[in-house]
Amino acid sequence: MTLEVDMRGITKRFPGVVADDNVDFSVNTGEIHALMGENGAGKSILMSILAGLHQADEGEIYLRGEKVAINSPLDAIESGIGMVFQAFKLFPSFTIAENVVFREEPTHGPLLDRAAANRAVAEISERYQLAVDPKARVDSVPVGVLQRVEIIKALYRDARVLILDEPTAVLTPQETEGLFNILRALRDDGRTIIFITHKMKEVMAISDRVTVLRDGKVTARLITAESSAEEITHHMTGRDVDLTMAPPQQAPGETVLSVKNLTVTDQGERPVVDDVNLEIHSGEIVGIAGVAGNGQVELAEAIMGLRAIDNGRVAVQNQDVTQASVRHRRDAGLTYIPEDRHGVGTAPLADGAANLAMGHHRRAPLLRSGLLKRSRMVWHARRLIERFRIKIASPATPVGTLSGGNLQKIVVARELDYDSSVLIAEQPTRGVDVGAIEAIHRELTTYRDRGGAVLLISAELSEIQSLSGRILVMFEGRIVADLDARDVTEKQLGYLMAGGEQAVAAS
Amino acid sequence: MVIAFVIGAVFIMIAGSDPISGYQSMLRGSFGSGLGIANTIQRAIPLVGMALAIAVAFRAGVINLGAEGQMILGGLVGVLVVLYVPGPPLLVMALACVAGTAAGALWALIPALFQSWPGVPVLIASLLLNYPARYFSSWMVRFPLKDPESSMVATDSFPAGTQIPLFASPSSGLGQTLLNNLGKDNVLTIVGRTVNWSFAVVALLVVAVMFMNARTRFGFESGMHGFNANFARYSGVHSGRLTAQTMLLSGGIAGLMGVMFAIGAPNNRLMDGQILETNYAWTGLLVALLALYRPSGVLIGGIFFAGIIAGSGAMGRDLSMSPQIAAVIQGIVIILIAFRVQIPVRRRRTSSEVVEARMEHDQAEEEVGRV
Repeated sequence: MTLEVDMRGITKRFPGVVADDNVDFSVNTGEIHALMGENGAGKSILMSILAGLHQADEGEIYLRGEKVAINSPLDAIESGIGMVFQAFKLFPSFTIAENVVFREEPTHGPLLDRAAANRAVAEISERYQLAVDPKARVDSVPVGVLQRVEIIKALYRDARVLILDEPTAVLTPQETEGLFNILRALRDDGRTIIFITHKMKEVMAISDRVTVLRDGKVTARLITAESSAEEITHHMTGRDVDLTMAPPQQAPGETVLSVKNLTVTDQGERPVVDDVNLEIHSGEIVGIAGVAGNGQVELAEAIMGLRAIDNGRVAVQNQDVTQASVRHRRDAGLTYIPEDRHGVGTAPLADGAANLAMGHHRRAPLLRSGLLKRSRMVWHARRLIERFRIKIASPATPVGTLSGGNLQKIVVARELDYDSSVLIAEQPTRGVDVGAIEAIHRELTTYRDRGGAVLLISAELSEIQSLSGRILVMFEGRIVADLDARDVTEKQLGYLMAGGEQAVAAS
Repeated sequence: MVIAFVIGAVFIMIAGSDPISGYQSMLRGSFGSGLGIANTIQRAIPLVGMALAIAVAFRAGVINLGAEGQMILGGLVGVLVVLYVPGPPLLVMALACVAGTAAGALWALIPALFQSWPGVPVLIASLLLNYPARYFSSWMVRFPLKDPESSMVATDSFPAGTQIPLFASPSSGLGQTLLNNLGKDNVLTIVGRTVNWSFAVVALLVVAVMFMNARTRFGFESGMHGFNANFARYSGVHSGRLTAQTMLLSGGIAGLMGVMFAIGAPNNRLMDGQILETNYAWTGLLVALLALYRPSGVLIGGIFFAGIIAGSGAMGRDLSMSPQIAAVIQGIVIILIAFRVQIPVRRRRTSSEVVEARMEHDQAEEEVGRV
């Protein structure tokens, strides 16, 4: 067994943070190797060092026993390393073949030999059952295909090591299964695959070996077949984690959020939210399942008043807020945990006290005789930091320095501290480590049990299934199914998320 | 700082003078003598005021680059009131201040409205609105308002008693008392006899803005809006309304500075280009940036830059340099000192760099893998 990749003593520092601290990471030739770790554990930085996007401060990289210097993404490509990023890096108006051969074009004199390009792509596509049409324009094909294009791009450059970056986040369960078959075929062809995921089930299903990072250090190197999901989680978090959720204690009560015929168009053209009707009752969590980009964000923003609507009504506790400002909607009882916590949910450069006070600064106890006071904001912040166990040096620390999980706790703490009746939670645990996921889920169920209504929008089927009483499936801006969470399977949801309503109706 | 002065010295030598005596006269002309201090304070008043006007806007994330136009129009309207409104002089003066403030505020409101509809950024509209303000004011002074009796391109002189008075004008009782008791070279005497009451107004404004930022809802919301406008909107702040209010405030302060500069003693008529030539608006922008929009920083930075302006003026006079060369040296010293001040500022900002690194890191992390 040879070592395909051997990274020795890699250290990478950023101002104030050591991302990777003397990490040894090695991958055998011809294996699928999972790299795991909580957010901020340093795995992304480690892989971007291998792909030439960052340079290590210390340490050496060996490929097939030979020491190499990877100073740029081009060096990495020449050394046979290909990386598929989560955000695809393709030209939308070019064809698939043109994207694949970009910078390594087969030429015919000074001209691009389009036929040769198409042939080369078709060949790779056939060999690994990647099923793409070389002549299709990139902006005309679905996300799952784009990922295959990225893989072909790497194979066209003859990548012997393929790094996949959270590859299943944008895929339905069926597409994920297809991807796994491709990865297995590539492995059997002698290629090496480094697979980064946070989904334990996928690690167990596909990887041969696992390396776990915590706080920039390797905490475990395991052979998957001889390990268990519990063991891996334990190495990632340093403790045992329980993600099973208590079922609701009472039946849902009256309707608190009602949305009727809501339509939102994208700059007055394509409807991104298309005639959506939904009702959420007190004491229930309603999940919206859907592949990212099917109108979930727009729906949440429209309910909050952050996005103009073309048609429809929104009511909170029988109070029509369709024309109301964000502030009046909040007064009416709406709260919102947005997906983008750096860009919307917080002001990263402002400190903890200010971020936690925002919104609450309009009323007592923060506002007294029309005036604010720093000491009261600090007191308010300390109370929430303690209650939600947020790891922050002091209320005067800028929140942008916090890890993803703690930053999210800032948002959750602030929103749950309102005396609200509805909470819209959008990807509440994305990019958050397991410990924080556990805490946030607990807060959501507590909120529900106190009589709150939760609209949970998540790309994580496991999250939707474990928390929701009812599940709505959103596809291309429409609610295509309204299901009882108890009698729906992941497979059914997968079909519906991919737009296959007929498939389910027929079965 | 040393490098700044060495480079400054080179320019003084290019201008054909001795750098050491140049710096001596610069120091004397700014902080080292009674007259110097008085000169510095005179310049610090509008400079601090303009920096404050810009700082309140920038702190809220509203990039008001039109402070110059707002100041000029405020000054023009104030002068119109003083020249044409009859009544008790003190009342006319007060009315001029109010009218000038309103003019600056309304002129500043235009870019805020343009941003709400059809969506022209405040930065662009406010900058462009400087030109009409500038040339309209110049035209008014050259033609309709020009005093035909005078050889200067200037308005009629203001009616008696409508200027903003000096603290202790030489003819007043207090002025005489100071002169007799402290002597003519005493700092207090000189300052009292040359600095007018707008000093008190600006000092009050600095304190008021400090209070606003720390204790009021508007101050808190505008600070958060400056950090992240999307976050403010999400939290229920009406972004368009806040921008409009901010521009009214910023333009109002700029307009008031314009009036107080135009009708503040010893000025007794408005000359063409009088406000423009001082460049207080743009130097004020620099002060506001270096002060990180904090009123306390604006006060300190404004006085410091006023000292450099006064000092280089004095140097030009003492060494009989042409005013252009003195202005070149002044500009270079300001730039170099801005660099110098920027270094400790950046060090204080390390936390923001960590934030940026963290965000970059998290983003990469989010791209690559979760959990």
